[in-house]
Amino acid sequence: MALLEINDLAVRFETNDGIVSAVNGVSFNVNEGDTLAIVGESGSGKSQTAFAAIGLLARNGHATGSVKWDGQEILNLPESKLNRIRSSEIAMIFQDPMTSLNPFMRVSDQMEEVLTLHRGMSRRAARVECVRMLDAVRIPDAAARITMYPHEFSGGMRQRIMIAMSLLCRPRLLIADEPTTALDVTVQAQIMKLLRDVQDEFNTALILITHDLGIVAGSCERTMVMYGGRIMERGPTEEIFETPTHPYTLGLLEAVPRLDRREEVLPTIPGEPPDMMRDVRGCPFEPRCPLRIDRCTDDTPPLERIGETRVRACHRSPEEVR
Amino acid sequence: MLSYIFRRLAVAIPTLLVLVVFSYLVMYAAPGGPFDTERALPQEVMANLEAKFGLDKPLVVQMANYVWNVVVHFDFGPSYYYKDQTVNDIIAQGFPVTLTYGFWSFVVAVVVGMSLGVCAAVYHNSWLDYLAVGVSIGAQVLPNFVMAPILVLVFTLWLGWLPGGGWQGGQWQYVVMPVIALSTSFMASIARLTRSSMLEVLNANYIRTARAKGLPMRKVILRHALKPALLPVVSYLGPAFVAMITGSVVVDMYFSTGGIGVFFVNSALNRDYSVIMGITILTGALTIFFNLVVDILYAWIDPKIRY
Repeated sequence: MALLEINDLAVRFETNDGIVSAVNGVSFNVNEGDTLAIVGESGSGKSQTAFAAIGLLARNGHATGSVKWDGQEILNLPESKLNRIRSSEIAMIFQDPMTSLNPFMRVSDQMEEVLTLHRGMSRRAARVECVRMLDAVRIPDAAARITMYPHEFSGGMRQRIMIAMSLLCRPRLLIADEPTTALDVTVQAQIMKLLRDVQDEFNTALILITHDLGIVAGSCERTMVMYGGRIMERGPTEEIFETPTHPYTLGLLEAVPRLDRREEVLPTIPGEPPDMMRDVRGCPFEPRCPLRIDRCTDDTPPLERIGETRVRACHRSPEEVR
Repeated sequence: MLSYIFRRLAVAIPTLLVLVVFSYLVMYAAPGGPFDTERALPQEVMANLEAKFGLDKPLVVQMANYVWNVVVHFDFGPSYYYKDQTVNDIIAQGFPVTLTYGFWSFVVAVVVGMSLGVCAAVYHNSWLDYLAVGVSIGAQVLPNFVMAPILVLVFTLWLGWLPGGGWQGGQWQYVVMPVIALSTSFMASIARLTRSSMLEVLNANYIRTARAKGLPMRKVILRHALKPALLPVVSYLGPAFVAMITGSVVVDMYFSTGGIGVFFVNSALNRDYSVIMGITILTGALTIFFNLVVDILYAWIDPKIRY
């Protein structure tokens, strides 16, 4: 049985301008110890997919479909029930470590409350455990610095604190929403290495949400590419990189700067991300797709299996894409 | 921090001096004097009166004498209108009254206003939110000179629960209506400030983090959202507190409470210069002091602020 089983998940937001369909029928599984990267550009629905799964959608958001955790349906569960799972079984770290820690509270208070809440620990025992976890994410002099406020740490250090905080209850799944986007490139590499290390050490399953293909390779076994709230393609990371079967994946890969090729201009995918307001008929990538054919306009390509481990949604055959 | 407080208090001295000089000049420049009556007094009587109160001396000497008495003897001088009372007497009589009903107004305004604001933000766009916004707009547009007679009509004339006026040393029956009349508009402002800043804080990333930790909503609000949400409210509370404890003319007049609010206005009408000066300086000093208190509270709330 899969640890996390998402089926036909859809997320809609009611806004003053109309309904925004952020996620349209997404399905995937995550097994114990799995690492899955969800890749896509801004507005592809990758973050909202994760937020919906643990009930953190904004107030005007509404999710339908099914999210099963350990076989139990958890989508749209009341807060009180979700709170038992949050952080203790599914933990999350966020994009911007500068604003994701409470600037008005000491790091110690923010970390300890996780353990006193979920594990019923005393403040003193919780402090010991928190310091140990900060040591594990390699924060120097953790015992003394734990009583500091977030603004007294650098961005990279704050993301380490977020990671330490998320791991306190040894969750079985860690969702990292663009954990390195707001950080310096050198710090990015350290944080990614740290994530891999803790993932190994605690055998936590990891969902890495990112728009940066560069950090996916070597950190996740499987990759899922999303566009316009739909899955474009999913499979083992290596295969996706070597033999992309979807024109969007191809475009993304070509847009990664490479040192082994001399190019004057970095290739980009022309056009704009889709307007999620209008009801998308056909393939969401159709307006920007270099390989589009007539039926792409009206006929949404279904997810089809290729081989044991891969799925894709495109009317063109894999051979035509390459 | 301590040196910051001393520095701030030191800066308060010249500020108060400027206040004194400026108020004195404005009064001096106003035509007429405290002893002008319908029928002009005989020349000699006027000269005697002016000599008695030191008004015959040059302006600079007058002002220096005044400041000297205030600073050294803490003496604000005699009232020009109430012949047997000094300004110190009037303040000693009236200030405890306004302090009492002002303080309770403050407590009511803060407790009710903040609760209303927090509830409205937490249950954003629900009937509770609409009710809270409706109540606070209603309270803000209802001036206290309309509020006071309505209160008297309901509680005194119809229900007969509360006395229509008087003070009686501040027994609670006499305090209730002044407090309601004075606190409503402040309460409304605090509610609206709290609501908007709480709404903003609830959208912050660290609130999402707190929810992702599995904290129940009550804890998210109390532990994570309340402090930052109160920051903008606190800066409003300093001046509001001073405004409340120095009383209100309408309350003092309508409920005959005898606070300094009514003295302040009467003294202006009576050209009772020393009373005007005394109350102005009192209000000024309180404003400076409570602004300092607000700044210290700021540092306590927001760890990023260090002086």
